[in-house]
Amino acid sequence: MDLRPYLDELERFADGQLSEAEQDAFEQRLAQDEELSAAYAAYEQFTADLRWVAGHETLRLRLRNLDKRLDERQTALTNLKTRTQAARMRWSWLVAGLVLALGVAAWFLFRPQPLDAEQAWTHYYVPDPGLSETEAQRTSNPLLVQAMRQYRDGHYSAALHSLRRIPASTLGDDTLLYYTGVMLLRQNEAGAARSYLTRATQQPASVLANKARYHLAMAQLRTGEWLQARATLQSIAANTQNPYWVEAQAALQAPELFSRD
Amino acid sequence: MPQPLAATLTHLRVGNQTFLVNFYQEHRDTFAAWARQQHQLDPAAAHELLRSVLVEFYDQVADGRLTKLPADVPAHIYDMAAQQLKATSAALPVAEASRRSRLLGQFGQLSADCQQVLMFFYFRGYNFKKLAGKMGFANATVGRLQKASCLRRLYDLHQRVE
Repeated sequence: MDLRPYLDELERFADGQLSEAEQDAFEQRLAQDEELSAAYAAYEQFTADLRWVAGHETLRLRLRNLDKRLDERQTALTNLKTRTQAARMRWSWLVAGLVLALGVAAWFLFRPQPLDAEQAWTHYYVPDPGLSETEAQRTSNPLLVQAMRQYRDGHYSAALHSLRRIPASTLGDDTLLYYTGVMLLRQNEAGAARSYLTRATQQPASVLANKARYHLAMAQLRTGEWLQARATLQSIAANTQNPYWVEAQAALQAPELFSRD
Repeated sequence: MPQPLAATLTHLRVGNQTFLVNFYQEHRDTFAAWARQQHQLDPAAAHELLRSVLVEFYDQVADGRLTKLPADVPAHIYDMAAQQLKATSAALPVAEASRRSRLLGQFGQLSADCQQVLMFFYFRGYNFKKLAGKMGFANATVGRLQKASCLRRLYDLHQRVE
């Protein structure tokens, strides 16, 4: 049934837009006019369906708008969290960088200073203490006693002079060669010391030969003969009978001594 | 103010949809997690499904298909969602369902303003003065004329199909 011819009237009636008299008259017609009554029933069904549609659509739109708001809120929260995390990360990196920089600076300031060649040689060289007074007296050689006394007192030049005055017949060759080399080395004459010490190492069955090898190695280091020095020290370090084997090992492990290899 | 659960259906029947709106707000994320786990739905699809289920729930209350509030509303909603995914739901009688679904489609063809006017008047129950105020019309008479015009447009669409 087409409601359009009645729609205006039905709408005004349903929406309460009629005056009291008009309403009474309409209700009377509604009771008598079947066409109008059918139109009214159809109108009621149409508006009831419309109410259902309107409710359905209202809820659908409300939920859709709410969903949009919740999505926006979630996005904002996610962005905030991301920004916070990024800021926290930046701070962490900054702090880590700062700690690292401080660590590097502290290491740089307080690191063990590498020794130069001169300091390294002084540090690692273990000089011969010389004969003690008692040991020297036991030789009954007054010049040797004097030389050792001067050597112990650090008067190397005078000690060397006294040593050279000892007749070769009163003292073994190995002793003379060894102490001459040692004293020359102490007097910073490594080049001259080297030849005496080399000969001392070649003395057969001398107890001083092993000790002479160590001082020879140190003299070689002093004169820049790195390869020979290393080889000599390695031979000493390999021989646990040598009184200087521990010192030789320490010298071999000191990079400063061989930095110019 | 939270509604007592017993009054929920009554409120829904008279058009107070707050319960469902709050339900959506509170359960949206949990439902999305459930839908992802159980049905491999992405969040957007899960949200749409929940909205559609809540509208269906509302329709059932409004139609009188649901006359008693389920003891466990969330479980009922989740069950409805599972059924909707299987495309099975308690339907209205065919004639009524098809009439309403047709009208829903025709309603969607109206302008946004017309839809709003009809929703305000037929669902919210606003009088012409309030309708005019909400829509920015000059006065109640303009509101009444606008509403009448929108109703005619909808009826024309309705008649064109029949």
